[in-house]
Amino acid sequence: MQKVYKLSIIYYLIFSLLLIASAVMLFEYKIGFSYSSILDYYIGNEDKFIPAKSSAGILKIVLPHIFAFGLISMVLLHFLVFTKLRYKKRTLTLIYLTFFSAILEIFTPLLIVNGFEFGAYVKLLSFFVFLVLIMYISWLLFYSIVND
Amino acid sequence: MKFTLINNIKKDNAMRLILSGFLSFILLYLISDTLVKYFGFGISVDAINITLFGNAEEYIDPITKASFLEFWHTEIFFIMMILITLSAIFIRLANRSRTFMINILMISAITSLITLPVAYFISEFFVYVYIITFFIWHLSAVYMSLYSFWKLYAKSL
Repeated sequence: MQKVYKLSIIYYLIFSLLLIASAVMLFEYKIGFSYSSILDYYIGNEDKFIPAKSSAGILKIVLPHIFAFGLISMVLLHFLVFTKLRYKKRTLTLIYLTFFSAILEIFTPLLIVNGFEFGAYVKLLSFFVFLVLIMYISWLLFYSIVND
Repeated sequence: MKFTLINNIKKDNAMRLILSGFLSFILLYLISDTLVKYFGFGISVDAINITLFGNAEEYIDPITKASFLEFWHTEIFFIMMILITLSAIFIRLANRSRTFMINILMISAITSLITLPVAYFISEFFVYVYIITFFIWHLSAVYMSLYSFWKLYAKSL
């Protein structure tokens, strides 16, 4: 791979880290990282004057995220194809895990508002798993670029 | 990203047309982004300060923290996607100053995205840095789009 393409990918990785930082800040401010705060945000809390979210309202938030999660994952993962990691079995596992955690993160709010409160744990877990995977893939790419 | 693998894009009429269309959309995005920011968020120090911190004399409320974080989050996503595709096309078509232009474009874009929350949460001084880097990356992106256009239709690649 040409050096200038590698440079471009490294900048993409920096953008990905910025996106993760903004996602964490947004999640922490709007929802919160505890089981009860996630439930409050989605099914409401009369004592705290928090209105409940509807399935339609959640779909409006979900819609752009389906496209964004898919695109970010695809772009980041397809860079792995240009490295030596392409032929490793763990790369396939990484791809499955990334898309699976993204799907869980996006759609668990629909579970929560439809009565499945354990979805709050799944939401929190999948959010962090997805972010950790993005950071891990970024590290793998960075390491491959620097050492190739 | 198939275009990165084609030997002579100039001879591939379909790919040349596709890239021309895409470059046109990038140019349209850059112009529209500047206009939308001019009418909304602001592209001058005074306008951005009023958006971020409000103005008590004119009874203008500052932007809420939630709205600001959503705005920042969306900006990062759009900018990263546009710049990675534009840089891939530019690298494929340009012969000289590729590393220099990629560095200018990306560093200014990343700096503008970092200084935005720094201005909001820490010091309004960084609004100046945001505006300068905002215009540097927009102008760099416009130059790279136009240069790529020219390279697509120049007599020799």
